[in-house]
Amino acid sequence: MSLKYMIPASKFKRYLPKDYVELVDYGPFGKDYSEVGVKNMGTFKELVEEHPMCSGCWMAYYIKIIFAALPNPENTVTIGTAGCGRLAISQAAVPFVYGNYGDQNAMASGMTRAFRLRFPDIQKDVITIAGDGGMMDIGFSMTMHAWFRREKFTTIMLDNETYGNTGGQESGMSMEGAVLKMSPKGKNFGKLPAMQLAITAGCVYVVKMSPTNINKSAKAIRRAIFAARKLGPTFIHVYTSCNIEYSIPTPDVFKDAKEMEKGRFAFEEFMTPEAKELFAIVESKKKREVS
Amino acid sequence: MYYVAKVNSEMCSTYKCNMCTLYCPEANTLMYDKESKHGNEHGTSWVDEDRCKGCAICVYVCSDLLDRNCIEMAMVTTE
Repeated sequence: MSLKYMIPASKFKRYLPKDYVELVDYGPFGKDYSEVGVKNMGTFKELVEEHPMCSGCWMAYYIKIIFAALPNPENTVTIGTAGCGRLAISQAAVPFVYGNYGDQNAMASGMTRAFRLRFPDIQKDVITIAGDGGMMDIGFSMTMHAWFRREKFTTIMLDNETYGNTGGQESGMSMEGAVLKMSPKGKNFGKLPAMQLAITAGCVYVVKMSPTNINKSAKAIRRAIFAARKLGPTFIHVYTSCNIEYSIPTPDVFKDAKEMEKGRFAFEEFMTPEAKELFAIVESKKKREVS
Repeated sequence: MYYVAKVNSEMCSTYKCNMCTLYCPEANTLMYDKESKHGNEHGTSWVDEDRCKGCAICVYVCSDLLDRNCIEMAMVTTE
């Protein structure tokens, strides 16, 4: 299979949707990361299309970074579940699978194994992207068991500390004392220690961060994908505020993310010695790593 | 009627900067044209007004963080 299958015949091009033609002409498929990538956002056609997420949504911003940072977008599959994030993830020009609520990591386990059998000569990246509810509340057991089994795929948790899509109920990742729907007197217990759970469960690369530095965010995503190809499960816990439920004025969303970076979402990175060795090799290569 | 971001391209092209495009949460909305503009050697950012949701994060980046004041929010009216 090659990328040529998506390039239309010249005479047929005028009848195709404009978005599709733009993606073929100006999109990132088949191009070197130095030409496209996060640093050059705004100069090429991004994979994410128009989506119904709220104005100033920091989750939409992080999803945009995920797709711009993909090392191999033509051979990537994303898996999501119910929640705000899938509204944008499903609008990207990358195959998206919608799981039942919470079973995204169980599906990803099967898909990763199937891809390795069906395409032994092609590296297919599987990434699960879900919210704090899908990953740590309702999908908790399936997330943990995928990590215990050392399944080789990347898990990204978009933590907005609430159930934003259903109107702002408390989630396991809301902080203690947060006044939300279903917790009118303030939440009684603190955030689940997602990063520590991931390390204990056997993830080879774990990051907790607030996306304020675009290069740092992209580097973490790429590292997580590279480590998942060879070594085992990887996990990114990222703060993506809900400006509606936490009443953050949209111009201050970025400021809020920066404040979070100084507080409970301070940058933390864990990697095993094997992962460290792998990154030294991968990052020393100038060309895009696709194998 | 709704707000969208408007880039003052003459002022924008005096800086070698595409910081606002890197922090816009909407994909393919705040774009950067690399070609030099208005006799200045740098390109300029531009907004696809049909896609802009008016969050003004770009204004925060351009005015509050960088103190360049090249972007402002403007009301769009149907004529």
